[in-house]
Amino acid sequence: MTVSGLPVIKSERRVPTAPFLGLSTLWIQITGTWCNLECRHCINASGPRAPWLRPLDAVTARRALAEAEAAGVKEIYFTGGEPVLHREFLPLLERALAVAPTTVLTNGTLIGAEEADALAALAGRAPYSLEIRVSLDDTDRVLNDRVRGEGAWAKAVEAVRLMRARGLLPIVTATEITRDLHGPGPGMYERFHEFLREQGVDRPRVKIMPVFALGRQPASGEPPLTEEDLEGFDRSVLQCADARVVTASGVYACPILAGLPGARLSTGGLAESFTAAALYHSACVTCRRTGMTCRNS
Amino acid sequence: MPSHGDDVPEQLGEYRRIAVFGGVYNNWLALEATLADARRRDVEAVFCLGDMGGFGPHPDRVFPRLREGGVLAIQGNYDESLASGRTDCGCGYTDPRDNHYAAISYRYTFDRTSAENKSWLGALPRHRRVKLGPHRVLMCHGSPRVINEFLWESATPDGLLRHLMDRAEADVVLCTHTGIKWCRALPDGRHAVNVGVIGRPENDGHPNVWYTLLTAGPELHVEFVPVAYDHGALAAEMEREELPAEFAETIRTGWWTTCLENLPARERARGKY
Repeated sequence: MTVSGLPVIKSERRVPTAPFLGLSTLWIQITGTWCNLECRHCINASGPRAPWLRPLDAVTARRALAEAEAAGVKEIYFTGGEPVLHREFLPLLERALAVAPTTVLTNGTLIGAEEADALAALAGRAPYSLEIRVSLDDTDRVLNDRVRGEGAWAKAVEAVRLMRARGLLPIVTATEITRDLHGPGPGMYERFHEFLREQGVDRPRVKIMPVFALGRQPASGEPPLTEEDLEGFDRSVLQCADARVVTASGVYACPILAGLPGARLSTGGLAESFTAAALYHSACVTCRRTGMTCRNS
Repeated sequence: MPSHGDDVPEQLGEYRRIAVFGGVYNNWLALEATLADARRRDVEAVFCLGDMGGFGPHPDRVFPRLREGGVLAIQGNYDESLASGRTDCGCGYTDPRDNHYAAISYRYTFDRTSAENKSWLGALPRHRRVKLGPHRVLMCHGSPRVINEFLWESATPDGLLRHLMDRAEADVVLCTHTGIKWCRALPDGRHAVNVGVIGRPENDGHPNVWYTLLTAGPELHVEFVPVAYDHGALAAEMEREELPAEFAETIRTGWWTTCLENLPARERARGKY
């Protein structure tokens, strides 16, 4: 085939990789993509209907925790879907907290007084810190619920209040999906801090994340990274250099790409995934560009 | 973030009793008080685990005191940044508010640290190894693997410590960087000690700072030593230098007012803010 009379040479593009430096962060996609909400920006299109990535069985989760402990893991994250939906959520969380500090990424809508009591009790007796990250995309109820579903705002805000009242310090996590809908005034970070204080949440903790063009968001069409893009860049700062995600369908390089075949590193044990990760996806461009991490800090 | 690479720690002497502190943060008054206190306790050597600058006033005042005191220092992330002319302190914060105050502090320190002292910082080793009686001790700033890794008590699992100590071939790891001391004895007899910092109080409502005494024996003995100093004078100097009022408040009250966002929940809950 020729274009304008010139031959097009088809070359094999080499996919760049990130080295594996050791397991620092273990993600457990405990409920797969099973969630009670169906947010329109969800990175893995989670929802209440038959999940495309099934929940993780407790045996596999416990085995992963043991493997991670032996590998010297520093921190653990429970994600999904909505982790609270897992039938063994609390026992598995307790086991994780015996291994390392553990964070739960939740939409907060299923955390009432009883659940907040249980989490506070667990935090009190665990050897390491328990962190709860509650997703809330806007301080404005209407704008938030347009993204996350009717009623999500009120339940999430109430969950934050309930947990704070029990001595926990939840981290409110927002994506930038509604950022441009606000006029001049304080930035997102300041707006969330102020809002939480107004809600009676002293010592507010806020984490802002970029929106990723995958899952329910349209693809960006951005070309994937090349070796040239990464020249002079320290790949050890990428989270796939020291994180792995355990799911029901194998072990993946990062929580953004969990479940996608190109990011799968093992269909068996965790240790088999301790190898270089391909930076093949357009989401890798976002990590490279923003320096973002899915970790708490 | 600095690389995960390991350099080869130098081999130093064998001791029975040493004093170790971290994070001077320009607090030359606390440094004087700490060195005087350690001398009274008959230590054979005094070690500093890095981060001479940041937070406090008059950065160049700490260097003659470190040299004249014979302090054996290693490099912290702040020292590495100053020495290499970086535009940020490399503390490893990710929160905008933390980074805002860190930037003020770094710019102040960078502009007032002499070229000679920056060069001295650049020549410091990243690690030191000593023998403390039978114990093989590895000293580092953040962690044995990363200079600015935060090892908080509630966020540093035993499995990680075993992993780090195996790789470092050490019985005792000494670190700092977080600003809050802790000590953990593993069931196999090895120890991890975060020696704390002398540059600012440790978010407990008391203005004193802390250093650590380590004494050899069949068992390692670890003692945290509180140091009182003229914190009012330091706070007044900070105000004269027009450093943020929040910094002086911390020095006066013992409660952290800034760089709080990266604290794990448990350490954050113990503070006032």
